[in-house]
Amino acid sequence: MGLDRCFSIIAGAIDQHLILPVLYRFGWMEWGDLSFNWALVCVYGLFAVILTYAVCWPLEAWRPVEHWPSRKAVLVDIFYTLLNRVGVIPVVTFLLFYQVQTDFTGQLVDMGFIPPTLETLIPGLFGHPLITFGLYALILDFADYWRHRLSHSFRAWYALHALHHAQRQMSFWSDDRNHILDDFISFLWFFAVGLAIGIPPLQFPLLILGLRFMESLSHANIRLSFGPFERLLVSPRFHRLHHAKRAAGRHSCNYGAVFPFWDMIFRTADFSAVWLPTGDAKAPEALATGSYLAQQLTGAKMFAAALARRRHT
Amino acid sequence: MITRRTALSLPLALAAAPAAAQTMLAAPAAAPAPAPIALVMNSGGASVSVIDMTSRQVINTLPTYREPSHWALTPDKREILISDASGNALFAFNPHTAKPLGHVRIADPYQLGYTPDHRYLAVNALRLDHVDFYDATTLKLVKRFNPGKKPSHLDFSPNSRWSFHSLQGSNALASFDLTSLKMRWRVPIGNTPAGVLWHRGRLLVCIMGGNGIVEVDPRNGRILRGQATGRGAHNIFYDEAGQRLYVSNRLGGTLSALDPVTLQVQRNYRIPGGPDDIGIDPAGRIWIARRFAEEVAVMDPATGDYDTIPVGRSPHGIFLSTCLRQTGEITAERL
Repeated sequence: MGLDRCFSIIAGAIDQHLILPVLYRFGWMEWGDLSFNWALVCVYGLFAVILTYAVCWPLEAWRPVEHWPSRKAVLVDIFYTLLNRVGVIPVVTFLLFYQVQTDFTGQLVDMGFIPPTLETLIPGLFGHPLITFGLYALILDFADYWRHRLSHSFRAWYALHALHHAQRQMSFWSDDRNHILDDFISFLWFFAVGLAIGIPPLQFPLLILGLRFMESLSHANIRLSFGPFERLLVSPRFHRLHHAKRAAGRHSCNYGAVFPFWDMIFRTADFSAVWLPTGDAKAPEALATGSYLAQQLTGAKMFAAALARRRHT
Repeated sequence: MITRRTALSLPLALAAAPAAAQTMLAAPAAAPAPAPIALVMNSGGASVSVIDMTSRQVINTLPTYREPSHWALTPDKREILISDASGNALFAFNPHTAKPLGHVRIADPYQLGYTPDHRYLAVNALRLDHVDFYDATTLKLVKRFNPGKKPSHLDFSPNSRWSFHSLQGSNALASFDLTSLKMRWRVPIGNTPAGVLWHRGRLLVCIMGGNGIVEVDPRNGRILRGQATGRGAHNIFYDEAGQRLYVSNRLGGTLSALDPVTLQVQRNYRIPGGPDDIGIDPAGRIWIARRFAEEVAVMDPATGDYDTIPVGRSPHGIFLSTCLRQTGEITAERL
């Protein structure tokens, strides 16, 4: 049995024996057609965490860039990861996206317009799901490059994004440490992209998992570059330069998440063979070592202050 | 991609795709009848599995855009239309060979069916809360209704006067007059209604948030009686001879066989893995899509034993080409 099929069957079992009984008990069976997808997202999320841990932890132990006397600051990143990949956030995002997308699409359809997908925009893609997936991955990574770059360009937006950069003990757990408002902006960003090119087909969850793994790996505390492939995929060394203290704030480099092409094309790439300390020297200590709530609260205050200052000026 | 006009009308398809159409026309006269096939709509896999019904092997997997779910035969039975809800498309295939014939853009088609008089193609748009009536020949939208949330399944009165639509998110059943294209009534029916079937002058509606079906007076929507079948009663079918009704109970993991007159449960078959739509082959075996198991079960109703055929993710609708040998109306997803 293939891994993909194995995950689907696990998700099916979770759906049938855990989620559907709850939906049934509370009279929410109208969501019964979608609950399998929720289970699938969580199963893949959990596997992604396990896979990332299994690969990255030995590597971090073997060739760490930094040795830390205490890993306490990493604990909150583990919480972010579990919340984002296995916990409620995927399901809430799924529901939110579903509802917003449905409402908006409904409005468009009522006006006689059916939103496109990449395959309807480029008919030759139909019947070539792997190529289609690859193209979606490229376009979405390109969109993410600009989202990320813009998040460093606006003072208020960076006030939120600073939470991600404040971690001085950057590890493979750090990928998901984001302010919830920053996540919400990302949601809106990709919602807009989704309206333009459609939502990518989900028949390749293992590939999606692979892309997420690459993002986690790029944050790992590993003395690792990809050698001749450094210009094909974002490596831990490449992304560490983005998290370096000197690159925190509004003038950074290496914004790419999976592919470094965009940084190369738009001249923000830095392939220096150095391993610099990470963090944001200007960020309040709470953003670096505070609890989840303290980080969220501090980030919100910084965001409000940045907005107020903008209005004042 | 073929155009909206050519996709679903054979005479026009002849002009647009002569080679394909010639093959279709020549096949019955020049070649032996094609081997029977089953088409399984993999809602989570954006594909349709083609199964050789004799060897019970998947012989092909055909792509769709996103989420194939249900099917309807065109009135001339020369094309099977498969709905792709989030792909906003209808895909047409040769029902004998599964040869793809093209697709058309339609907003959010979920379950669909031609009215018995072949005037309209009725489409439930579950995600967008629409019930759409398209001209059966041109596929131009004639009328759109927003009767409530999540219209899921549908059926018609045999005289084409009325249509009936379960509203999964509104816990209601709605009926439309197909002459005036106006809503006749909308009534509360039970938690999360799903499958709808016209049966001997009455309507049978599955109550997925409950544990069975209700019988409804089609004149006014009044509930006449209920019958327990199993938790999560999802869809209802009758066999070719009309001797039995079958209800798939998604949550209970069972398939209930009902007496068509008394509606009493004669037998419950254990089919774990989220049984959904079914098909019945000429030997009386029941082909059941098992949503969570990624399989089709082929069950002998005499013993309840079944074999399984692995298919794609979240198999949903299932079509058996053997039903084309029937002489009656099979324009909707009915056996």
